[in-house]
Amino acid sequence: MLKYLARRLTATFMVIVLVSISVFMIFSFLPMDPARLTCGKACTPAVVEGNRHRLGLDVPVQVQYVRFVKGIFVGRDFGEGAAKFSCPAPAFGYSFNKHECVTTLIAEAFPVTFSLAIGSFILWLLVGVSLGVLAARRQGKWVDKASTAFVLVGNSLPTFISGILILLLALKFNLINPIEMGRWVSPFKDPIGWASNFILPWMTLALAYAATYTRFTRSNVIETSSEDYIRTARAKGLSEKVILRKHTLRAALAPILTIAGLDFAGLLGGAIITENIFNLPGLGRLSIRAVLIDYDLPVILATTLLAAVFVVTMNLIVDILYAYIDPRVRVA
Amino acid sequence: MSGSKMTTSHFRRRLVATTAAGAFLAASVLVGTATSADAATAKVTKGGTLYFITQQQQFDHVDPARVYTGRDIAFFNSYLYRNLVSYKPTKGAAGSSLVPDLATNTGVPSNSAKTWKFTLRAGATWEDGSAVTCADAKYGVSRAFATDVITDGPQYLVAALAIPTNADGSSQYKGPYKKTGQALYDKAVTCSGSTITFKLNRSFADFNYALTYPAGAPVKASKDNGDKYDLRPFSNGPYKIATYKIGDEMHLVLNTKWSQKSDTVRTPNADDIVVRFGLVENVRDQIMLDDSIPNTVNLDGLQPANNLRFFADPKKATQRMNVYDPYVRYAAMNVSPGHMTCLDVRKAVFFAMNMQALIDLSGGTIYYGVPGDSPVKPVLGLDYAKTTGNIHDPAWNINGAPDKAKALLASAKSACPDVYAKATDPSKGISWDLSNTATNQKASVLIKTAMDAAGIVMKFNFIPSGQYYSTVMDPTKQGDISTAGWGADWANASTVIPPLFIKGGGFDLSQASTDPDYAAFKALSDKALGTTDRPKQAAMWKQLAQMAMDKYWIIRPVFGKGQFDWGSKVGGVYYWEPQGTYGFGQLFVKN
Repeated sequence: MLKYLARRLTATFMVIVLVSISVFMIFSFLPMDPARLTCGKACTPAVVEGNRHRLGLDVPVQVQYVRFVKGIFVGRDFGEGAAKFSCPAPAFGYSFNKHECVTTLIAEAFPVTFSLAIGSFILWLLVGVSLGVLAARRQGKWVDKASTAFVLVGNSLPTFISGILILLLALKFNLINPIEMGRWVSPFKDPIGWASNFILPWMTLALAYAATYTRFTRSNVIETSSEDYIRTARAKGLSEKVILRKHTLRAALAPILTIAGLDFAGLLGGAIITENIFNLPGLGRLSIRAVLIDYDLPVILATTLLAAVFVVTMNLIVDILYAYIDPRVRVA
Repeated sequence: MSGSKMTTSHFRRRLVATTAAGAFLAASVLVGTATSADAATAKVTKGGTLYFITQQQQFDHVDPARVYTGRDIAFFNSYLYRNLVSYKPTKGAAGSSLVPDLATNTGVPSNSAKTWKFTLRAGATWEDGSAVTCADAKYGVSRAFATDVITDGPQYLVAALAIPTNADGSSQYKGPYKKTGQALYDKAVTCSGSTITFKLNRSFADFNYALTYPAGAPVKASKDNGDKYDLRPFSNGPYKIATYKIGDEMHLVLNTKWSQKSDTVRTPNADDIVVRFGLVENVRDQIMLDDSIPNTVNLDGLQPANNLRFFADPKKATQRMNVYDPYVRYAAMNVSPGHMTCLDVRKAVFFAMNMQALIDLSGGTIYYGVPGDSPVKPVLGLDYAKTTGNIHDPAWNINGAPDKAKALLASAKSACPDVYAKATDPSKGISWDLSNTATNQKASVLIKTAMDAAGIVMKFNFIPSGQYYSTVMDPTKQGDISTAGWGADWANASTVIPPLFIKGGGFDLSQASTDPDYAAFKALSDKALGTTDRPKQAAMWKQLAQMAMDKYWIIRPVFGKGQFDWGSKVGGVYYWEPQGTYGFGQLFVKN
């Protein structure tokens, strides 16, 4: 098991390194010039070159990458003379657009994204799995038909539509104060304020995911219910409740929980659309603005890396759990 | 842009009106059917929270040396930082007059306006209670020279101070962080007691106007933390920053160390000022349409459809303004070799253009703007005169005059065959630079249709909007025609004609310096810059504007309009002409 673990950890580390190199290269070779973007209107070539130096983009891309990696371990200095300042390790760079070390920006954005992800995750699991099980148990009945309709609506409505609809309805019926919308409140200081701020984004995200999970759970439960061992359990005289709880759900939900873990990890990288609609200052909004508007390379790199780390780590956890459950995986 | 509507944030310059044209201004600045008379009639009330909402994630800059949009200058000058001189915070043409702010007067020129002195008034303090000193004023100006840290700000003071330059035109003084060339700066800007003296490299009759920019505002050296000063500048105004979180909000609270006795310009009304950033456009518009937060001012425009709704609603009559904004939108003809060197082809493009379609695309003459005839906007008053030719040519048609364009092309065939060939050869064509926006994509279709009718081959170079200007400002990357916009920095065409047409002026997209007639143009421009007799100077600017239009260095200027909207509980609203935005300082929350 230890050998397997070491192998997987090495592979995970390599994936993260490769992702960082890839992202660095992709954004270095795109026909966008961050030095020009920071230049404003009356921007002469001399000013562009000055900005390029300030941003640290006047050296070969491999040197930029080495500086970036070094900064993660030992921190990094920026500016010259009296205007010199430092970003302590782990330094992912400095955002000249936001005048802040990228690590600080991420530290501020992560709790928002985590709050969004965990709330919607719980909501979609509760709704999706419950509805899926119910639909499977009442095949062909109105509950099943209603769940099919829910799946259809949930899967058909992209979040940028459902989010705007939910938001405009809430505004129309004065359910939210738009001026307060998106303001970050710590759940440890004001749990009600925190929850009320996230309820609409949770609903938006959960709607799409719950629809998928309803369909998935329903088909898994139906499939598992037709297995021989379920029939055997029934023949042994076990009650339907016990069969469902002890045998059907255990088997049917295992793959669902695996996918849920990966979906959750994906969301931790930032729910771009939902965060933007509800003005949530999370990782998704941070990264999409860095890509589309500010072209803020240090922020792009850090948020992409972070998202990759979440997914890769969750994959690792899942793999380890699988290896624990099924020893054949260790030697595969 | 080509008829498309650019947001204010795309522009960095601002426009002011002169007192000399007061009557004209009163009639022309406010347009449309509804304006606010709040500033004059409503009873000012103190207290409450005044909200501002915007789709933007942050102010472009907060650091006084880096702020360069009229709206942000007006906002921060009203609340946070004080200049030596300021514009009078009042509506109408009077708002463009200068008043002493931190100084005791509006400046004393000498030596043919090559030396300017300002004496600081007593009693002005920073938010920690310490006095605002001459050393602070001197330090504040010095920061603009640190171009490695202080980016984006206006460069008028850098260009004007008597400090030697390097071969590449950059100043030998590198700012207070590196201190390279510090002695040169100390010679050009001196303090004697509370009097600061600026020594300039030329006669600069309106130098005090340049000091209305926050780039000339004092900064306390011990509080300057370089790039991060853009997040939390130290205040000497009536408010100070309690919090500023990009993408979230800026919260201003009353600065208890500020004294009304020391400030004849500002009158803080609200207890708190909150700017909420990052609102989705639909939410922002809904707030304004529903008046759901009545003590709110919209810092953006509304989306076109919502703008129409808002301005058509009689209940909103006292909550909106439709005004001539500070900007002239135009297309710059790149007259450098290999581009639009042929006058007849430049004229052909102009006459072929369907201006009506382009204006309609962006909101029509009511909300977008009207065809203009000069790079200088009429609200500049003294320096504007109706030109001859261009839109006043009998052959011009707002819907396009393809026959006239064809005739001009025929003339170009023999006069300048190379440019003619480029303009008519389908494999070549004229290239037009446009910022890559949805509106500009549509505009390009309208332009192409009009050009096709005249037999002109037009191709478009769509540039990502964030790097549009930095691209077209690079002569190696600029196309034949570049869409642009410009507003005067203060009430003098010295901030329009030289920047737009003089080499090194800062925004010479026409590259007029390569035109055979440039030498005469520059000589007259230099003469105008050195002329301290204002009416004589104005006559020269008018002559220069006519020359630029006759040469078709720019075509189809549009005198732009802007719309403003606010909630029912906001009082004291007026259009502050020199800043092209709200008079922020007088806003209050109605009881």
